[in-house]
Amino acid sequence: MHIDPLGEVFGRSTGRIGLLLLCLMVGLALFAPLLTPYSPSQRTDASAFSPPSHDHPLGTNDARQDIWTRLIYGARTSLSVAVGVALLSGLISATIGSTSAIFGGIYDRFWMRVVDAMLAIPAVIIVILVATYLQPNLMLMIVLISAMSWPGGARVIRAQTLSLKERMHVSAARTFGAGWRHILCRHILPDLGPVLLAIMIQDARAAVFMEAGLSFLGIADPSMISWGKMMQYARVFTYLDVWKWWLLPTGIALSITLVGLSLIGYSLETALDPRLKDNGRGA
Amino acid sequence: MLDIEGLKVSFGEREVLKGVDIHLERGDALSIIGESGAGKTTLAMSIMGLLNGGCSGRIVLQGRDILEMEESRRREIRGDVMAMVFQNVEDALDPVYTISDQIEEAILVHHPMDKDRLRLRVDHLLIQVGLSREKGDAYPHQLSGGERQRALIAMALANDPQVLILDEPTASLDAMTKAEILGLLRESMRDRIGLVVTHDISAASRISNRMAVLYSGRILEMGDTKEVLARPLHPYTRGLLRSSPNMITTKDLQGIPGRMNPGVKGCPFHPRCTQHLDRCTRETPMLRDVGGRMIACHRGGIVPLLEVRGLCRSFGPLKAVDGVDLNLCEGETLALVGQSGSGKTTLARMIMGLTRPDSGEIRLEGEPLGARSKEFYRRVQMIYQNPRESISHRMNVAEAIMEPLDIQGLGRSREKLERVLDEVELSSDPEFLNRYSHHLSGGEAQRVAIARALILDPKLLIADEPTSALDSSVQAKILRLLMDLQERRGLAILLVTHDLALARKVSDRMAVMKDGRILEEGLTSDLLASPKHQYTRELMESASAVNDDGVLVKARRPKEGESDCIEEQSFEVCRRPGTWQRMIRWMRSS
Repeated sequence: MHIDPLGEVFGRSTGRIGLLLLCLMVGLALFAPLLTPYSPSQRTDASAFSPPSHDHPLGTNDARQDIWTRLIYGARTSLSVAVGVALLSGLISATIGSTSAIFGGIYDRFWMRVVDAMLAIPAVIIVILVATYLQPNLMLMIVLISAMSWPGGARVIRAQTLSLKERMHVSAARTFGAGWRHILCRHILPDLGPVLLAIMIQDARAAVFMEAGLSFLGIADPSMISWGKMMQYARVFTYLDVWKWWLLPTGIALSITLVGLSLIGYSLETALDPRLKDNGRGA
Repeated sequence: MLDIEGLKVSFGEREVLKGVDIHLERGDALSIIGESGAGKTTLAMSIMGLLNGGCSGRIVLQGRDILEMEESRRREIRGDVMAMVFQNVEDALDPVYTISDQIEEAILVHHPMDKDRLRLRVDHLLIQVGLSREKGDAYPHQLSGGERQRALIAMALANDPQVLILDEPTASLDAMTKAEILGLLRESMRDRIGLVVTHDISAASRISNRMAVLYSGRILEMGDTKEVLARPLHPYTRGLLRSSPNMITTKDLQGIPGRMNPGVKGCPFHPRCTQHLDRCTRETPMLRDVGGRMIACHRGGIVPLLEVRGLCRSFGPLKAVDGVDLNLCEGETLALVGQSGSGKTTLARMIMGLTRPDSGEIRLEGEPLGARSKEFYRRVQMIYQNPRESISHRMNVAEAIMEPLDIQGLGRSREKLERVLDEVELSSDPEFLNRYSHHLSGGEAQRVAIARALILDPKLLIADEPTSALDSSVQAKILRLLMDLQERRGLAILLVTHDLALARKVSDRMAVMKDGRILEEGLTSDLLASPKHQYTRELMESASAVNDDGVLVKARRPKEGESDCIEEQSFEVCRRPGTWQRMIRWMRSS
């Protein structure tokens, strides 16, 4: 079966909306320096908790920093984590999952027991515990979250590889004398693309959420600018009016990112599983 | 006893016979078959000593060398001790004398006798060849072709010769006369040394007990007629048999590539031989005894390519393949016929190395196979039932065909690609090369798969139901293509199929498989003419055939439990005599 992932995503309205939302966030993150004259940790001249004005579209926080600036620079953090985890976790999942399926035997059984063990343990708790000790910065956070999210993807990739391995064109390649490397690279990985993409999107979504959560709990690196952290601080001052332009926009930004990723993931999954398709109604 | 040793005949510069060795005893009837230009008539004429050309070697009859004799001595022997029936019936008889006169002349030249005895002898001879006295008194132009041939035979037999040579005795006759004359000739050659020169293999099979195949002045194969015809061991003999239609063989006709070229160095057949080595271009092979047959081939005849012994494979409690023995020679098609679930695909996959056998041995060209190396895959390739699935949907035609070259590290050669596309009759233009497998039709996809299999120049092609997913007209073309490839490249094909009628048309040999075991194996024509197993008959019955009502019945795959252990339930067949009769009638008529 021939799946064209980009075509599927663009072709459906859910995919398009998701892509739009994500592009919005990516745009904000990329063009952050152009969209604001301040730097995120700069203490501005305005007073603390000043309401939105011409200079400060979302006002200032308790440290007299511009909230809008912190918002769009926070997008950078979230998206970096998203991309980083997607790539790293995706890489680990793909490697371990596909090689387990191809080699089989003890190698396969070992890694699958590892996956089983890791899936049985609630990832959130581990991450929180480890993070409390490490106070991870961006890199470390990506590594930590990837370390906990690769098992789910590995399972799926292994199952997919097992089924792809039995395909006729893989047998045909074996009859030309192909070794596992050729089969993996030219026959299996290209067909794993759509599944891998879906897994990566899901990992990214979970990663954004987890990063925000960790920052909210205050166990991430304090110097990182994160939406979670903003919400943590903003929560303290809910008795003031400031939450309207501090907590709410941050929450909305986070939600937009998560919804965008979810919609893209959803449209990809309906492409992968024909049973979920509702016959081209574009939903 | 007639001994020909090292006979070489040349006409000026041209060497027509290049060393012929034949040994014949009384009662032997040797047929010399070959195509035009092989030197058959030259051989016949030189034995009679009728050639003007340069002859060397020895032809020893009763201890005396004919070539050494003087012409006067030879004239004494000719017509008396050895006699020849010539090819051209019109020219061999003198038009102004009656038949009896000419027979009398043949006798009188050697044995003068009085008129009464002569008359008696002539009458006796006329009766022997089936001519009446009135025919004897007629002139040649008053007789039919068959009668003239009989007259010539009478003249040859006139003095009861020890050696009777026949040069194309039935070439100018129609089929029914041919049959009668052949019967007569078989009678006539009893208790004599007979030498029949002909290109007609079926005629040769009827009157000779030994056969020699002549090609470009050399004997390539010699042996017992029935054995040579049933199991030709030389590639040329096999090619000759494949190109001669007869009422028994069921495989479509195939030719031999190339053309006879008299001035070839080394083995005379090597330019047209699909299994020739480098050695064959330099050294001429001598006629040697190989297991009871005389063969002139450096490789000892047709090379046995694949030998399978006792192959077993079980999946849990199910015995998919249960002790299978198979043989496949170079350039031949073996059809493996059976229902789904008989284990044929598992067997094919085990030979390819895709599935590991539990026990048993597989040999390729004599060497036992362990783990398959890349070298193996250059000699054995496979095509599958579903061509579009067997080509990755992420590769276009060009990439798919060149994938084996990439894997084997042989470099992407544009010429190889074009050559192989040409062989499978596909175009090489870029538009087609960029197409993906899911954009190709079934027939095109299978051709691409075949091209991909051919690009490594394999010797053996395993075809696993290659056409069952295709339409009939496409199927015919694909099979035609496979047969052409076999003819041109000497490709051996192991065809796994459930369609008996199809297998009948394209296979030399057939093996019937059921429940993991081979029930019967042998020449397709033999197996289908006289099947030994009840199951084979069941298969034949359900194969595609036009039944008595004139309706085309397409082969149906027998359902599960339908033909189950029929050997033990033979009484079931007896209960339905109608079907039995119909089947026998069909077998007789086809």
